[in-house]
Amino acid sequence: MWDRLREWFRERKEKLDLFDETQVDRQDNPLYLLGQIVYFSWIAVVVSGILLMIWYEPTTHGAYNSILRIQHEVPLGWLIRGVHKYGADMLILAITLRIYRMYFLGEYKRPNELSWMILFGSLVLAMISGLTGYLLIWNQRAFWAAKVVLTVAVYLDELPLIGQTRFGSAIAFAFLGGPAEGQGTLTRFYAIHFGISALLLVAAEIYFYFTRRRRFVLSPTALVILTLMLVVTSYVFPAEMGRRADPNRTPLPILSDWYFLALYQYVKYTPPLWAGLGPGLLIAYGMLVPFLDRSKGRRPSERPFFTVVGVMALVYFLVFTALIMFNIAVIGRDPHVVLLVTAATLSVGLGLEFRYRRRKKLEEAAAPSPAPRAAPARATAG
Amino acid sequence: MNRRTFLKALSAVPVLGALGAFLAPVLRYLKPNLEPGLGVPQGKIPPDLAEGDLPKGEPLAIATLEELREPWSSKFFVFTQKYPQYTPELAKAATVPGVAIKLPWKLAFPGYKSGKEPTDIVIFSRICPHLGCIFNYVPNWREVTAGYGGYMPPEERRHGLMACPCHLSIYDPADREQPGRVLSGPAPRPPRYFSYEIRDGVIVVTGAEPGGIA
Repeated sequence: MWDRLREWFRERKEKLDLFDETQVDRQDNPLYLLGQIVYFSWIAVVVSGILLMIWYEPTTHGAYNSILRIQHEVPLGWLIRGVHKYGADMLILAITLRIYRMYFLGEYKRPNELSWMILFGSLVLAMISGLTGYLLIWNQRAFWAAKVVLTVAVYLDELPLIGQTRFGSAIAFAFLGGPAEGQGTLTRFYAIHFGISALLLVAAEIYFYFTRRRRFVLSPTALVILTLMLVVTSYVFPAEMGRRADPNRTPLPILSDWYFLALYQYVKYTPPLWAGLGPGLLIAYGMLVPFLDRSKGRRPSERPFFTVVGVMALVYFLVFTALIMFNIAVIGRDPHVVLLVTAATLSVGLGLEFRYRRRKKLEEAAAPSPAPRAAPARATAG
Repeated sequence: MNRRTFLKALSAVPVLGALGAFLAPVLRYLKPNLEPGLGVPQGKIPPDLAEGDLPKGEPLAIATLEELREPWSSKFFVFTQKYPQYTPELAKAATVPGVAIKLPWKLAFPGYKSGKEPTDIVIFSRICPHLGCIFNYVPNWREVTAGYGGYMPPEERRHGLMACPCHLSIYDPADREQPGRVLSGPAPRPPRYFSYEIRDGVIVVTGAEPGGIA
């Protein structure tokens, strides 16, 4: 048992591919540049972030002013801040697109399970980095977003049995650094925001040291284009400031960074305990999908159920984001619609899956000669 | 199981124990130093908590009865609570925004003489019991249907309502059975109330219902 686990792990470790650095020969397809874009934007964010630390002041009174100063007074401050903000957006966008690529093309299957899990975990960490990062501005949007997210954790105490330990409140207090959102929260968020990237950077360096692979396999043209994108965006759309945080006034509507918007809409629809459990289940599904999907094929049409689930997730993300941006939510009606649509879609997915399997079985029965064809194909590939 | 595996497993126990003993203080390191009395759930006072550890607020005059004469008129205020804490000032202040609303009818409100006498003034904490945002009192119910997510109140509730901008919970301050009843949205219970007295035509807030957000 132990040896089998170790063998499984060894095989995955050899095939590990964190930034598409083994896909050099497929780079004419922009889908296989995504991993490299992740690495590029990550480095851009880390470097600009360290430069921002020179001017940033992590106190509740001084944070907002120090960022005003960076944006308007410090020479090239707007550029550094823009690269940091839009680099982070690019990072999350690239990770998300890469996740969808791996999902729809079945790239999470053997032997890439570990690569997929690391990628999915990195999306969660990147989103935590984003959440902790935009509180540092200490503006209205960030203040209320952090308050809401940390209060969600408190409701985990309502869970039967494990709720008795009050671990939800413990999580909230550990992040808040005190009874309410204040200086303690800002200090801790600053540490987490910096710490995630610092530790992961060390881990990535160790990975490159042992695999002896090149970090950057991006062509110089792509590098220049990506850099120009960041610079031009920072110049044309200067990074937003928002309003200074006011603990006694909640703005209507409250929004957050774009990758949290869909979740915000979801929180409106559910009882507060499920506001925490839902995203947890989503993360669990993402992490475990390589083990749930036992189908052999890699093409989307060869595993209809998982394709349908992926499309549904994408559509929900887009629709919920649109709904919250236009501030549309009919609490009495929408959750029923969502549940109904979800149930219908999943049934359609299951139906397609069964139909596909039946057909394949019939085909195999009609032409029973797959074994001799498969063997030489594998030999040439290896 | 052979002898070697057994001995390995046996020696793993103290190693894991030592690891746990090392990790437990690390987890404790993450926990902020909390003053006693905070995070008391649902208004319950735990047995290990002395009466003096509960947060206290100075009585605060918020409005005269004259100011709140019209039905559905309201007054916002901010109540300051003090928590005993080992700081140089020996107390830590927390502010609770609140709203006083004049109703056109009388009802039993737990904040006024413990609900024994009916009153037509209700005072609520504006901290949303869902996720802690600050909600608003909306005198015109049509604004609730427009800005706060399309909830259409039934005929008898078309009056001033309280609505939260974060996740669109809507409360009825004038519900006769349960003032602050949740009409719509994800909130699990009504907002916390303030207790108050009327001294010479002035509304004086004397305390807040104990308990955290959730």
